Amino acid sequence: MAIIKAEKTTARPAPLFETSVIGWLHKNLFSSAFNTLLTGFMLYIIYLTVSGVFVWGFADATYVAKNRRECYDNSLTGACWAGVIHWLDNIFYGRYPRDQIWRINFGGLLLVLWMAPLWMSRVKGKVLVGATVVVFYPFIAGYLFSGGDKGLFMQFTIAGAIVAFAINMANMITGQTKNLGLNVFLIQMLGQTKATDNAQRNILLLLTALAFGAAFVWQMGWTVEGITWTKWGGLFLTLVISGIGIASSLPGGIILALGRRSKLTVIRVLCVGFIEVFRSVPLITVLFMATTMFPLFMPEGFVLNKLAQVIIAVILFNACYMAETVRAGLQAIPKGQYEGAHTIGLGYWKMMGLIIMPQALKHMIPNIVGSFIGLLKDTTLVSIIGLFDILGMLRSISKDMPWIGLHKEPLVFGAILFFILCFSMSKYSRHLEVKLSAGERH
Amino acid sequence: MSNEQTQGKLASAISSEVMIEVNNMNKWYGAFHVLKDIDLTVHKGERIVVCGPSGSGKSTLIRCINALEEHQEGDVIVDGIKLGKNLKNLDHIRTEVGMVFQNFNLFPHMTILENLILGPIWVRKMSKAEAIETAMMYLERVKIPEQADKYPGQMSGGQQQRVAIARSLCMNPKIMLFDEPTSALDPEMIKEVLDVMVELAGTGMTMIVVTHEMGFAKTIADRVIFMDEGDIVEQNKPAEFFENPQHERTKLFLSQIL
Repeated sequence: MAIIKAEKTTARPAPLFETSVIGWLHKNLFSSAFNTLLTGFMLYIIYLTVSGVFVWGFADATYVAKNRRECYDNSLTGACWAGVIHWLDNIFYGRYPRDQIWRINFGGLLLVLWMAPLWMSRVKGKVLVGATVVVFYPFIAGYLFSGGDKGLFMQFTIAGAIVAFAINMANMITGQTKNLGLNVFLIQMLGQTKATDNAQRNILLLLTALAFGAAFVWQMGWTVEGITWTKWGGLFLTLVISGIGIASSLPGGIILALGRRSKLTVIRVLCVGFIEVFRSVPLITVLFMATTMFPLFMPEGFVLNKLAQVIIAVILFNACYMAETVRAGLQAIPKGQYEGAHTIGLGYWKMMGLIIMPQALKHMIPNIVGSFIGLLKDTTLVSIIGLFDILGMLRSISKDMPWIGLHKEPLVFGAILFFILCFSMSKYSRHLEVKLSAGERH
Repeated sequence: MSNEQTQGKLASAISSEVMIEVNNMNKWYGAFHVLKDIDLTVHKGERIVVCGPSGSGKSTLIRCINALEEHQEGDVIVDGIKLGKNLKNLDHIRTEVGMVFQNFNLFPHMTILENLILGPIWVRKMSKAEAIETAMMYLERVKIPEQADKYPGQMSGGQQQRVAIARSLCMNPKIMLFDEPTSALDPEMIKEVLDVMVELAGTGMTMIVVTHEMGFAKTIADRVIFMDEGDIVEQNKPAEFFENPQHERTKLFLSQIL
């Protein structure tokens, strides 16, 4: 006997209890007498904390004063932000000469402008944009920050950076306004669209070479005064160390992770040993080793400055952590992906670069950004070995005669700065995750 | 599953040229002897269906033919090139031998079109425009050109498998291997994949298909190979294989699945 339902059942809206605000409140906050009591208690605690912070940080706080005594005269219960405000330049730039601070700001602006095309959907050739930042920016920024005489090598790299930056900006403009890559735009302007691929490429190469020549001649004229690294400090120094650390530890980690999975025993053992040694030692030990022991192993007369040693230590340390993160990502890729890549004849590097790594890194974004955040916070350890990074600067406020004993406010200010930096990284990683997984469901 | 296709048998186009030659091949997984003294000659244009109970070594056999697995003894010669440790040879063989997997193995981070043009561009060094043209032609052939910009995860299993077939064909291979191409599919989708394979068989492609679709085997196979516990137990023309199996093991297997 057949049982048949003749009419199709139509979908009905969910019960109000599931979707309304009152329903949510009832379910989550006031579901029973005891839970209602708990909710009230928590609200009271939140009120106490928030109002306490508000009174100390805003209502009773002093913003303008010449020294700590004046702060106290104004209010005993409020924060003395005047000290932090007085030291603001030091917190951001360390002991960098005040009339040269524009160099740091200009360097930062350059980086932001250079990376801006990466966030614009209409701009073509994003891989190239990213590559030029990594290859050229460190040279021009390095010269901007440290200054002094330009050797021939630096002249070449700076001219290269200028050309790369200019091409990037032009490419961004053609991309945004005409939805074309700069190369296509130039070929069209010159009326060479019918030329062969080779001829087109030669024209573009010629233009680039001309631009390079012009940039080289132009940059010969200007120099900036030398400022040794010992004057670097504050947030600037923290960002330099962690920026270089972040930019280098990911590629370093990828290489180490691939080495650890290599079929060649020597490479595998070396990588495993390296990773395990650095991961088993606290960062502060590595930093001390880098600054005190490392020079002992170097040949007589070989002097590397302390900042470079610290940066190398930070890179090696974080590359090892990154290697394990990347390895975990690689292991999550099913064997079928390798086989799929093999069957269309891709060799090892193409398979890794085109198929495996893009997927592994995407899965690993939360962990990678987690490592980056850790790195940024860990760099404050360099204040222990005598570099005046942001933490070093914040702590020296309390040793400055007019502000002697002022600990709380600088550290709270530092905490807020770090929170802004780290939270925006975290938010950005979340955004990347969502963006990259668009259209892809497993 | 009895298919309408079982009615009409495809004309075969076997040439005398040898495509694959396997001589006395043995393979072990650790201590386990998976393939035992395998001898097999496949001619150009020949269509072979391999069947047998699970664990009999069917998949391993075809995986050895495109060197996804290494064999320990004997020779495997594909398109005149002997498989061995030489990595250059391996990559060359793999470009000439297309393979379709049970789980499709499409690249989930790329659109369908990107999946298809990857090999032609990076391995065959084709220009992008040419690769796209080829890819669209094959998508047309597997009847899903309108899906080119979707991601694999947005498609049904049957569609994904057709894309996987198209991806292999884009490399313009001389041989196509199919490793249980319909086993992971819902029953409704099996036919659309088999139809594509039957059409491919009609073009004179050399094919080795591991499958349990007996209707399909009857339609396209020039030869059916039955494997059990690492041995090729019986091989014959499909009509005789199904109607008049010789070996006890074959009889038992056929009685259970038909």
